[in-house]
Amino acid sequence: MADLRFEDLVKHFGGVHALDGVSGHVDDGEILGLVGPNGSGKSTLINVLSGHYEADSGRVVLDGEDITDRPAHRIIEMGLARTYQIPRPFSTMTALENVSVPLMFGAEPKSPGEAREAAREWLEFVGLEAYADEPITSLNLHQLKYLELARALAARPRILFLDEVLSGLNPAEVNESIEMVRRIHDSGITIVIVEHLVRVVTSLATRIMVLDRGKVIADGDPGEVMRLPEVVTAYLGKRAQSA
Amino acid sequence: MRQRPWLGPAVTLVVAVALWFYPNLVDAAGWPIFYLLFAYTVFFWVTQASSWNLFTGFSGYFSFGQGAFYGVGVYALGVLVVKRGWPLLPTFVVGGLLASVLGLFIGLVVFRLRRLRGEIFALMTLAVAFVLGAVARISPTIDGGQGIPLSSVPTPDALGTHPQMIFRLGLITAVLAVVVVQVVQNSRLGWGLFSIRDDEDVAETLGVPTFRFKMIALGLTSFLAGLSGAVHALQVSYVTIEEVFNIRVPLMVILMSILGGTRHWMGPVLGALVVHTMSDRLNRAGLEAVSDIIVGALLILMIVAIKEGLYLRMRERPLVTAIGAAVGVAAGFVLGPLDSAVTHLAYTLLGAVLGAMVPVGRRRRPQSGAPATQTIEEVVGG
Amino acid sequence: MSLWTQSIVSGLLSGGIYAMMSLGMSLSWGVLKIINLAHFSFILLSGYFTYQLAFSYGWDPFAAILVCVPVFALAGMALQWAFDKLRVSEFESLLLTFGLFIIFESIASTVWTADFRRMDTVQNPYQSQSVWLGDIALPVPQLAAFVVAVIVAFGTRYLMEKTDFGRAVRALSQDRDVARAFGIDPHRVAMRLAGLAAAFAAIAGVFIAMSRALWPGLAVEWFGIVFSVVILGGLGSTLGTLIAAVIIGFVGGVATVVGGPPMAPLAIFLVLIATLLFRPQGIMGRSSI
Ligand SMILES: Nc1ncnc2c1ncn2[C@@H]1O[C@H](COP(=O)(O)OP(=O)(O)OP(=O)(O)O)[C@@H](O)[C@H]1O
Ligand SMILES: [Mg+2]
Repeated sequence: MADLRFEDLVKHFGGVHALDGVSGHVDDGEILGLVGPNGSGKSTLINVLSGHYEADSGRVVLDGEDITDRPAHRIIEMGLARTYQIPRPFSTMTALENVSVPLMFGAEPKSPGEAREAAREWLEFVGLEAYADEPITSLNLHQLKYLELARALAARPRILFLDEVLSGLNPAEVNESIEMVRRIHDSGITIVIVEHLVRVVTSLATRIMVLDRGKVIADGDPGEVMRLPEVVTAYLGKRAQSA
Repeated sequence: MRQRPWLGPAVTLVVAVALWFYPNLVDAAGWPIFYLLFAYTVFFWVTQASSWNLFTGFSGYFSFGQGAFYGVGVYALGVLVVKRGWPLLPTFVVGGLLASVLGLFIGLVVFRLRRLRGEIFALMTLAVAFVLGAVARISPTIDGGQGIPLSSVPTPDALGTHPQMIFRLGLITAVLAVVVVQVVQNSRLGWGLFSIRDDEDVAETLGVPTFRFKMIALGLTSFLAGLSGAVHALQVSYVTIEEVFNIRVPLMVILMSILGGTRHWMGPVLGALVVHTMSDRLNRAGLEAVSDIIVGALLILMIVAIKEGLYLRMRERPLVTAIGAAVGVAAGFVLGPLDSAVTHLAYTLLGAVLGAMVPVGRRRRPQSGAPATQTIEEVVGG
Repeated sequence: MSLWTQSIVSGLLSGGIYAMMSLGMSLSWGVLKIINLAHFSFILLSGYFTYQLAFSYGWDPFAAILVCVPVFALAGMALQWAFDKLRVSEFESLLLTFGLFIIFESIASTVWTADFRRMDTVQNPYQSQSVWLGDIALPVPQLAAFVVAVIVAFGTRYLMEKTDFGRAVRALSQDRDVARAFGIDPHRVAMRLAGLAAAFAAIAGVFIAMSRALWPGLAVEWFGIVFSVVILGGLGSTLGTLIAAVIIGFVGGVATVVGGPPMAPLAIFLVLIATLLFRPQGIMGRSSI
């Protein structure tokens, strides 16, 4: 069971209202697509929910427990893991060591030796086993994104936030990745996925939430939501401008 | 090494047992007492540098506070044993604990900050030694500006003559420090600290209890520094504020660790040996004035040119290092005067260090790709 | 009573020298992201230069400003140039300048020895002169330093807020790449700012030489004061630095009356701790630390 709700989250950066009263929920077992134009607050929402940022106001509740002010390391221990949109690997460690870090912490911490062994499996899962002992400087962007994924999975989350792990892939790789996300989901992990590619979102998501300028403008069935006029203007209009 | 966590401590203990009998050898062979005191001073610096590295090298938080922690230990012994008549051994531990209290207090104030934690920590530790000096000066119970004579401290006979005892106490603290660092390096604490050094926010979101780990590491660092300071007090005949709370100790440990390398427990050990041997010989040659200039210049050179430190560099190129050491030995014989084994050691180390530094052989790894800039474009391009 | 007033007034006045010492530090750290420990060496060496010019050539200490300011401004610019060349990170800057600090300190103790150096009353007539406010004496060197610090602080503020250079500096402190996109050459702006910071250090050194005896270990004593001022004032804030310096001077003055001179660093340190605990962004800081 994983039941995450958040109410009235506000986060300002100077004058920028990155989150301007965002409420919503993540239900157990779903794949929630989180979409919105650039700068609409998707990553900020993930940052706040994962404890990376502290919200200016609002509440986050997991399984009935208020986790708003919990430090981030407690939040991942409770089962919320995330990837970073711009990969942030530990730069002086090898790929394997990167993945072994979350295995040493959390609810069932392993010793460094055990963690290394277990980390190998997660690298295999994302197809990076050949890079296990390489410094992360030898990985390209896609591989770094997969490393982010392996690292988040290694924390054995109940809810996994994926911040544009698929962006920038070629069509074949995208299909492969969609399959991978499905497999993760099938293993019982609830997923919140941020993605700009409409094809990806509609084929994966069981529900979609649309953000625009820090506010939720739509929430519901994928097919219906993407046809709402306000979503089309906010989302596609902005995309068209920026292109 | 990382797969066999017991290996390092085991080797350290074996070496320690062998060294325990070194004073007997010195005695039997009729070598000068200086050989014991020199070795003690190396142990002292190994302890201090290892202790500094445990927190700063592993976590990346830069500390200038080593002198303050050390000074608390020195004064703990001076005040408690000399003025209050406490027994010696418990006071060593108390010295360490008092230093820990200071370290944890600084951590408590600074680590709660959101931004610039690292910078402010560095500056706080830079200022704190001077403040402690002021406190000691104000308080007649501590110092009152008079200094404390330490030559009359009663010492146990069990460890041999005074120089032998100093040597053995130094050995014990050094072994303790090195083993602690070895254990930490291969533990969850160590990996937590490494991840903090690389990216503290990410470490925290991956489950590393960053605040607690920093506090634990800082507590250990300051404990070891204070303990070593308390032991070192026995080696000093008169302690004064100016000689304790100055910039000397932090300067030396920073140089030693950076020179040897901060990523591995061996770095500070090697750095302490090299730096102390060199500066001892420079001072003996009457070059004290230039020795500080050399120290400063070396620090700058290491940061600019050899960031990984000597130990990893030597490990990467054992051959040039060995050749350098051999040349050093030979140069010692040719150049002389080899009045002392320490001079010989200095030549050998100098040769090895220069050998390792020579820019031949494997160049730095080419950086494949440029993930950082690529990333931003990719992301913006959606 | 008059001892109290006198000490507090001298404390407040010494805020002028503290401000002069801290302004450059604050700019360098806040804008250039360089924690420049060599700044302290510049202050010290400028003090010794002033002493030496008076001692060997009979220069009026005020005239030393004409030499010290350009010399150290150039030194500061050269240092910044090297930092840019070497792509030094904020942390490495701390270490590198620590190395420089040590080198400068041992040069100072080689050239001027570890003894106290002080200009006599002929070389420096100002040290014994005071402006009297009723029965309170305002020593001329401190008073002059205070006036100059106020002028410099407001001048810098004007420079930062109203001129193109100031706009470039502010752009730089936000984001180097954005600054570059607006046609600003970050290296040039950074070098000029570093020169300015070092010039402030030079002025501070002149006033210190005028008001007290010099010895090489002096620089270490300034760490606590200057960092307290910089953090209390808020990184990069000129007006904040000035106010913080006066507060710190006042606190030091009161502590000296209450518990003697060694009490001052302790009291100042407590202010620093309180700042970090309760207002880490400093009195004039905008963003939170
Ligand atoms: N650390 C930060 N400091 C300042 N502003 C920030 C920060 N993080 C986000 N912002 C701003 O908050 C707004 C929302 O950003 P966010 O990254 O959440 O958007 P996003 O929906 O993830 O966009 P994208 O699709 O480009 O990833 C943007 O205007 C951004 O510039
Ligand atoms: Mg985003």
